[in-house]
Amino acid sequence: MIEALYKIIEMILFPGFAFIGVLSLLYEWIDRKFYARLQNRIGPLYAGPHGILQPLADFIKLLSKEDIIPEGADKFLFTLTPILFFAINLLLTLFLPICGTTGVISFTGDLIFFVALLTIISILVYTAGMASTNRFATIGAERAVLQLIGYEIPFMLSIVSVAISSRSLTIKNIVESQSSIWHILGPNFLAFIIFAITAQAELERIPFDIPEAEQEIVAGWLVEYSGKKLALFRLGKDVETLLLCGLGATLFLGGPLGPVVPGLEIVFYTLYFIIKSIIVLLVLTTLRALFARLRVDQMLVLSWKYLIPLSLISVLIVRVVF
Amino acid sequence: MSFYIPIGPQHHVHPEPLLMKFKVEGEQVIDVEINVSYTHRGIEKGFEYRDYMKGIFLAERICGICNAAHTLCYTQNIEQLLGKEIPPRAKYLRLIVEELSRIHSHLLWLGLAAHQIGFETLFMYVWRDREKVLDLLETITGNRVVTAYNTIGGVRRDITPEIEQKIRKSLDYLEERTKYFKKVVMEEPTVLVRTQNVGILKPREAIELFAVGPVLRASGIKHDIRADDPYIAHDEVPFNVVTYDTCDVYARILVRVDEILECINMVRYSLDHLPSGEYRIRMPVIVRPPPGESVSRVEAPRGELLHYVRSDGSDKPYRYKVRTPTLANIPSTARMLTSRGDYIVYIADIPIIFGSIDPCLCCTGRVMFIDIEKSKSWVWTYNELVRYSLKRFERHD
Repeated sequence: MIEALYKIIEMILFPGFAFIGVLSLLYEWIDRKFYARLQNRIGPLYAGPHGILQPLADFIKLLSKEDIIPEGADKFLFTLTPILFFAINLLLTLFLPICGTTGVISFTGDLIFFVALLTIISILVYTAGMASTNRFATIGAERAVLQLIGYEIPFMLSIVSVAISSRSLTIKNIVESQSSIWHILGPNFLAFIIFAITAQAELERIPFDIPEAEQEIVAGWLVEYSGKKLALFRLGKDVETLLLCGLGATLFLGGPLGPVVPGLEIVFYTLYFIIKSIIVLLVLTTLRALFARLRVDQMLVLSWKYLIPLSLISVLIVRVVF
Repeated sequence: MSFYIPIGPQHHVHPEPLLMKFKVEGEQVIDVEINVSYTHRGIEKGFEYRDYMKGIFLAERICGICNAAHTLCYTQNIEQLLGKEIPPRAKYLRLIVEELSRIHSHLLWLGLAAHQIGFETLFMYVWRDREKVLDLLETITGNRVVTAYNTIGGVRRDITPEIEQKIRKSLDYLEERTKYFKKVVMEEPTVLVRTQNVGILKPREAIELFAVGPVLRASGIKHDIRADDPYIAHDEVPFNVVTYDTCDVYARILVRVDEILECINMVRYSLDHLPSGEYRIRMPVIVRPPPGESVSRVEAPRGELLHYVRSDGSDKPYRYKVRTPTLANIPSTARMLTSRGDYIVYIADIPIIFGSIDPCLCCTGRVMFIDIEKSKSWVWTYNELVRYSLKRFERHD
């Protein structure tokens, strides 16, 4: 009984939904502020100290906006996809080891489950675009799938090379195998670079914001969404950012591990997790500020010509070393 | 399966109203239909209802960014009609403001081009440094964008030695930054892949379709009104006509960036050789040129600008005609946006190809009514237009 209650608290409060919600809004603020500073802008400023509440303010504003379903849209899918998009992202965060070496949910081989659900998120993007039957949304959805063909394989291979060097497909074991040395400091450095680039594509950020491409197809697959549905997508996107930064920290930077004071493990582990995932976030934000957007055919050429061979080489190196 | 996608009349990369209907197949553009007639403002007719002095203000408002070129063209026309020569100092001062506003226009365009290929950081950097030129224009003329500097008989203000120092200082900064931007454009791989071999306009096509300005020069044709038909002090101030012969968007970026560097040198040279003396000749408020007509050409930042005026001896022009560079570049844009042979246009290239002509549509709208069934065409008068717009406004209110 107590055990079940404890599990529910873990899921809802810490490190579950409430904590993740706050953290993902915080990460969006860090991302926006750092991006703005890289561009010599000020960034969010007015809501809260240094604009830290701006993502929350945007979210609340979107919730209060009119929620329009276009006449030609598939109403069921159009309503379902934002909810699923948010829910799956939130579910996946439960796998992240935040305040210990295991997440809220952990079982043998959970890395495979995790990666499979990540792919479903990209397919939801396609569904969202197709359900709204807008021409721009249709083009955006097509681009999302094309892009998926490009980045998915190197993304998986970069995770595989980590799994090989830890000799496990369980997130818990991967974290524990890094107690002496982090993967990023070993032969997995190449895998980390590939992970960072493909995470950028997964998150649809410059240079891979091709499905959204505001200058070309307005907002791509998001164009018909408004009000609560858009708010859910936005929040889902923030959670996804947290998810991939957390995954990067878990797989390559040793997750929540680090020197701890006995008795205060939870605090220290959480702190290490936040610091490490923020480092990954800053890397991703810097990448976002450095490039122009690629065309979808150029993106495919990039991933099939360079990323996939590189990630195969990385797997090979790791296999030889370990 | 092919279908149509509309870009415009409202599209946030091109804030000005224009409709481009693209026939696309997947990611490829097959055909395009461009409609520019969303902003008819009755300006040519408006000139006929204002006297010559008030016409300056109207000419200034044809286009916000090339306002210096428009007033220059207008005042040159009236001065030709009157047979007056402006003092040499005024010529140099006009040149300085013209070239500074060219720097402003090209920097603004460079930022927009970066935005159109999704390079937000370069966009922000360029627009930050563009503020320096705006500050300079404010110091010289009193206004940031709409300068109100040229007037019939010369310019409105003189520059002092302090202002001259300030200009030189800002020019040094701008030169350094422009060189940096040039380096970024030439070395950043994502910019290169997005601009090279995109929006190709062959030299022969450029001449056939009457392309003007940087678009023409990027197709390798040495054509610049400042060199071919010098006005104000352009025959005394040395400069190079920048051309590139790759005929694509990349060449258009480099032409404009190099032109900024040329402009900086031209302004420096004019400051060194600024003649002393009067900066304007006084004119009566009501000017009555003798009957006759006059044409004046100016190299505006976007290309060749042509103004025509016909006077009947009264205090108002009998006819005024403006041919703006964007209108001249629209046919070549349609060619650039159409796939043919192994030259393929992708949807992703649309913003940057259309943006590469530096479109300014507020000066482009033309209107004529054509009844196809009765094969009759007619033009509305200014008063009819005003009446129509008031009626429309009431209905929509």
